[in-house]
Amino acid sequence: MASSVFEEYETIDLFASWDSKKQPVIQLNNLKKWFPVSQQSLLFSKVISNIKAVDGVQLFINKGETLGLVGESGCGKSTTARVTVKLEEPTEGSVYFKGVDIFQPMTKEEELVIKRQLQMVFQDPYSSLNPRKMVLDIIKEPFDIHFPDMLYEEKESRVLEILAKVGLEDYHALRYPHEFSGGQRQRIGIARALAIHPEVVLLDEPVSALDVSVQAQILNLLHDLQKELNLTFMFIAHDLSVIKHVSDRVAVMYLGKIMELSPTGDLFRKTAHPYTVSLLSAIPRPDPRIKMDRILLEGDVPSPIDPPPGCPFNPRCWKAQEICSQKSPTLDEIRPNHYCACFFPEI
Amino acid sequence: MSEKKPLLEIQDIYTQFFTESGVVEALDGVSFDVTAGEPVGIVGESGCGKTVTGHSILRILPKNGKTIKGKIIYKGINLLNLTHNQMRSIRGKEIAMIFQDPMTSLNPIFRVDDQMTEVISLHRKVNKKEALDIAIEMLESVGLSDAEKRIHDYPHQFSGGMRQRILIARALALQPSLLIADEPTTALDVTIQAQVLEIIKEMQKKLGLAMMLITHNLGVVAEITKRVHIFYGGRVVESGPTEDVFINPQHPYTRALFDSIPSIEKDKTRLETIPGNVPRLINPPKGCRFHPRCKYATEICSRERPEDVWLGPKRRVACHHYEELDLDVDEETMRERVKIKEEV
Ligand SMILES: Nc1ncnc2c1ncn2[C@@H]1O[C@H](COP(=O)(O)OP(=O)(O)OP(=O)(O)O)[C@@H](O)[C@H]1O
Ligand SMILES: Nc1ncnc2c1ncn2[C@@H]1O[C@H](COP(=O)(O)OP(=O)(O)OP(=O)(O)O)[C@@H](O)[C@H]1O
Ligand code: SF4
Ligand code: SF4
Ligand SMILES: [Mg+2]
Ligand SMILES: [Mg+2]
Repeated sequence: MASSVFEEYETIDLFASWDSKKQPVIQLNNLKKWFPVSQQSLLFSKVISNIKAVDGVQLFINKGETLGLVGESGCGKSTTARVTVKLEEPTEGSVYFKGVDIFQPMTKEEELVIKRQLQMVFQDPYSSLNPRKMVLDIIKEPFDIHFPDMLYEEKESRVLEILAKVGLEDYHALRYPHEFSGGQRQRIGIARALAIHPEVVLLDEPVSALDVSVQAQILNLLHDLQKELNLTFMFIAHDLSVIKHVSDRVAVMYLGKIMELSPTGDLFRKTAHPYTVSLLSAIPRPDPRIKMDRILLEGDVPSPIDPPPGCPFNPRCWKAQEICSQKSPTLDEIRPNHYCACFFPEI
Repeated sequence: MSEKKPLLEIQDIYTQFFTESGVVEALDGVSFDVTAGEPVGIVGESGCGKTVTGHSILRILPKNGKTIKGKIIYKGINLLNLTHNQMRSIRGKEIAMIFQDPMTSLNPIFRVDDQMTEVISLHRKVNKKEALDIAIEMLESVGLSDAEKRIHDYPHQFSGGMRQRILIARALALQPSLLIADEPTTALDVTIQAQVLEIIKEMQKKLGLAMMLITHNLGVVAEITKRVHIFYGGRVVESGPTEDVFINPQHPYTRALFDSIPSIEKDKTRLETIPGNVPRLINPPKGCRFHPRCKYATEICSRERPEDVWLGPKRRVACHHYEELDLDVDEETMRERVKIKEEV
């Protein structure tokens, strides 16, 4: 099934064997991304340890859904996203996109097809847009890369079309990023990612830098565009209220691993993993009458350079037993569609 | 000072910045008070004047900024009339501030002990050894384990949450009457934020501290404060007991703000939005500064500034049309609403 919009430009069909009803759009298998830390000496440098940013992520995303990925700073969310859209190579493990292993050897053309259909919107609406380029050129750039043969007029009209979809005007095309507010810049970033009709969009904290009144505008916009363009989203955030609002399913990440993965309702009402329990209880509720029974965790998140043996949460977990520091719990299905990596889940 | 008199009274202050592109009308007639021992929230979106309020009180505005009008009465004295020397004895000792950016507030090249004992011996009549003891005691009370050893470390050797605890300890070591905490947990992860909020709550109660908690996080305000002032575009648009403002907001902006945040408790597919952006404060909107974004705005709103309307001794709203909005929900419905929220 080639994407019909660009049929005349994109002729190869990589995904003929993919069955969207039975297979997920994205499947991450034991994904690892380690960053080597090396020691420099006069003659050579040697790797002394690794930052285990992503350390065995198991995850899938179904067509048309929004998977929320939540976790505290440094747990590996952005790195997972960057590997998933092939901006970086994994250290180990694989990424399947519509049934195709995206890191297997392939031709330039095949790689372009994959990269067009996997787009990312970046966290910071201030630094992610080239300040020296007009909005028109920023949004046109993906067309230049993926469809060099497309006529300039067509590119331009497609840019204007997507600008209108994200709620900006024609004349905005001729302006520069600094002339826009944070919310408008985020709209431009979204327009750039969606212009070339991707299948999957990875949204890396798309609203974290925005004021709440503007955040609501962007969340609604994303919701509308997803329906209209039939998109699959991975939505990264550290704010659980935002995650709950946007997601069909949620994955909770901690120290490079997925702790819990379940439909949104179950995650909040039938919370299984102790880490998720503590995350939920930590959120200050905007209602003075709600008094939380809060579970206060001891200490900080350990360093990903030397993660604790066994379950990564064991040094802070109030339920930890001896086995927790000896063996790594696997992400098991504890009830239909509800996965949890813990020896003693809450049920 | 009698019990009833507020510790701090901000009366109609105007703070402006003089820039190349024009005059920034950052605070435009701001008034509110803080009672001794009371935790008060200052809430609003980016650029509404929260930090400038704190800086105006302490008179630490940059060179191009000035409070041109109004009074800041602290314990009966107008701070705006004090000399620089007199002001120096107010800062830290009477009114302490925790600044918005935790990274820049601790000097990276000095050890924590030096940074703490320096301020302590400057303001309290103690020798070096006593200053160090006070510092260690403060660090222990904010939950820094192994304080006696770790006090000799450099700031970068601590995590963000730890650094924020150190800043709280340093601010409280001088036994101020008022603490201005500017977004003390915004840079922290939620589990660490929970730890630091717990410390702040505990210290506030233990020391009977008056506190101005500046934040844009409505959850943090609900949890910590008893009274709240909602800022918009350099003005206070609504004030009152936190519970009342949250359950029964009167100003269109406050209402819209609450409706635009996603909630853990409720399932909703669509959020209410406020059109447009927060206003720039060079040539801000005339009349009510919220009028270009307000769905209730009429002609008078773009012409005349709405005066404060007092709805109770500590409850006020600044809106021409607040009475006409269908905002008043009866007690019964209110209780219902809260119960529903708690059950979900
Ligand atoms: N290029 C890199 N080189 C070395 N370390 C890296 C690199 N990129 C990320 N890391 C480290 O990997 C870990 C995970 O980083 P990542 O950015 O994926 O986290 P995150 O969950 O997105 O955090 P945040 O919420 O702060 O954005 C961190 O410890 C980070 O410092
Ligand atoms: N040094 C300055 N020069 C010119 N304008 C300034 C200066 N400092 C602050 N302002 C302006 O004053 C207004 C209020 O700023 P302030 O820092 O108080 O906002 P805030 O409410 O603390 O926002 P945030 O939540 O982003 O911290 C803003 O419009 C800001 O641009
Ligand atoms: S495996 Fe053990 S340490 Fe890990 S979350 Fe479960 S109970 Fe806690
Ligand atoms: S004064 Fe007018 S514009 Fe301002 S909040 Fe009230 S109704 Fe809206
Ligand atoms: Mg990130
Ligand atoms: Mg500020």
